[in-house]
Amino acid sequence: MNSMTILVADDDPVIRKLFEKRLGKEGYTVTIAADGAEAARLLDTRPFDVIITDLVMPGKIGGIELLKLAKEKSVEIEVIVITAHSSIDTAVDAMKKGAVDYLEKPINFDELFLRLEKISERKALMKNAGDLREAMEVTESSAAQTIQNLEIINSNQQQLLDQLETILTNGRQEQGKRIEQALHLLTNRSL
Amino acid sequence: MLKITPEEIKLITKYIYEISGIYLDESKKYLLETRLNTIAEEQGCSSYQDFYQKAKADASKTIERRIIDAISTNETLFFRDSGPFQLLQHKIFPELIDARAPKSPMLKTNLKIWSAASSTGQELYSVAIVLQELLGDMSKYSIKLLGTDISDAAISQASSGKYNKFEIERGLSRDKLTRYFTSIGQTWKVSDHLRAMVNFRKFNLMSPFTSLGKFDVILCRNVAIYFTLEDRKKLFNKIADALEPDGYLIIGSTESLTGICPRFIPKRHLRSIFYQLK
Repeated sequence: MNSMTILVADDDPVIRKLFEKRLGKEGYTVTIAADGAEAARLLDTRPFDVIITDLVMPGKIGGIELLKLAKEKSVEIEVIVITAHSSIDTAVDAMKKGAVDYLEKPINFDELFLRLEKISERKALMKNAGDLREAMEVTESSAAQTIQNLEIINSNQQQLLDQLETILTNGRQEQGKRIEQALHLLTNRSL
Repeated sequence: MLKITPEEIKLITKYIYEISGIYLDESKKYLLETRLNTIAEEQGCSSYQDFYQKAKADASKTIERRIIDAISTNETLFFRDSGPFQLLQHKIFPELIDARAPKSPMLKTNLKIWSAASSTGQELYSVAIVLQELLGDMSKYSIKLLGTDISDAAISQASSGKYNKFEIERGLSRDKLTRYFTSIGQTWKVSDHLRAMVNFRKFNLMSPFTSLGKFDVILCRNVAIYFTLEDRKKLFNKIADALEPDGYLIIGSTESLTGICPRFIPKRHLRSIFYQLK
């Protein structure tokens, strides 16, 4: 079951519609944006797993700018850029800036689905590792408290023992006096 | 995958112990196979016996270094377990700054801090960030931050100060991330300023510490757990020698010095413990 949420940004209404239909049919939750600015606004309203964006869009926010905005929001958002065959260099540049993949026009949807599956698998693994780490941290922090308490108790008792030893082995005092002092120490110790 | 025999496990674990002090018992068959297989195959070894002979005979010590890189655990992150860093920020550093205040305003406050198993550097950079946030203007201070690790690969990454998004995103707030790092594509690099505060070098904790000098703070977290009880005793004894009389030792939050080193006394501050010499 595909449970990822995908934001598609493309200024071509036909392509937008196509993405919405094909991805929706595969079970993805799809939101579409007509340009970079709308996509950027949507980024603020809810979390997305993946953004598929055209590199060239009208307005101030193109594909690269959207990629930057998304990565600033969360490094976990994966961005796939769509490019015309002639602008592969820009796509490579986008990947250097953090895009996970690029697709050439016309879109081969089977290829896209494969890539999305890979992203989904990786996200599941990451979540799994995250869950394990969290479980480990809970265990570790609980163990740490126990160990630290024992460490302090042990240290206090060791100090008490050392003091008792000093008192009881003090040859300059008579035995009764030594025992009296030792008892005094024991009854007045702070627990 | 190359299979390891019980005899070979004994041979290899003994060899790893000799070169690194890391003690692996015989139950670590799977760990040995998964971590050493690539190196053994690259060396064209037909067995782990063969691999052992090749590693021993390698005068350049390349194989030895690669084995250490593969075996040593580099699970670490920025501000891993917030306790020690709060301890440094609210207790240890303020106390040390007072204690080390110079007699003349012309002089600088000297501090020496050692991250004894610095792995890929996150711990030491986190300490540097704490100092930077606490002190602001660093011109009145002369602070030496040393990170050591047995793994060349770890030291090399620590020195580069470059981290991928998985290494960076846990533990660091966005605020600290933008203040102390710059992003180059998928990679984050520590600022030159932070980088200039720290020094990393390879060091085996089994060797004598005399070349290192004395430190005001030593962090030795989650590394002694890989050593035998005897080696732990030796390690913390050497650490006691390398600590200033009023210096501070921080160990891993689930570690203990009970029965290991009677020269230290544990002290509690908030939810953390630090150690000082008796």
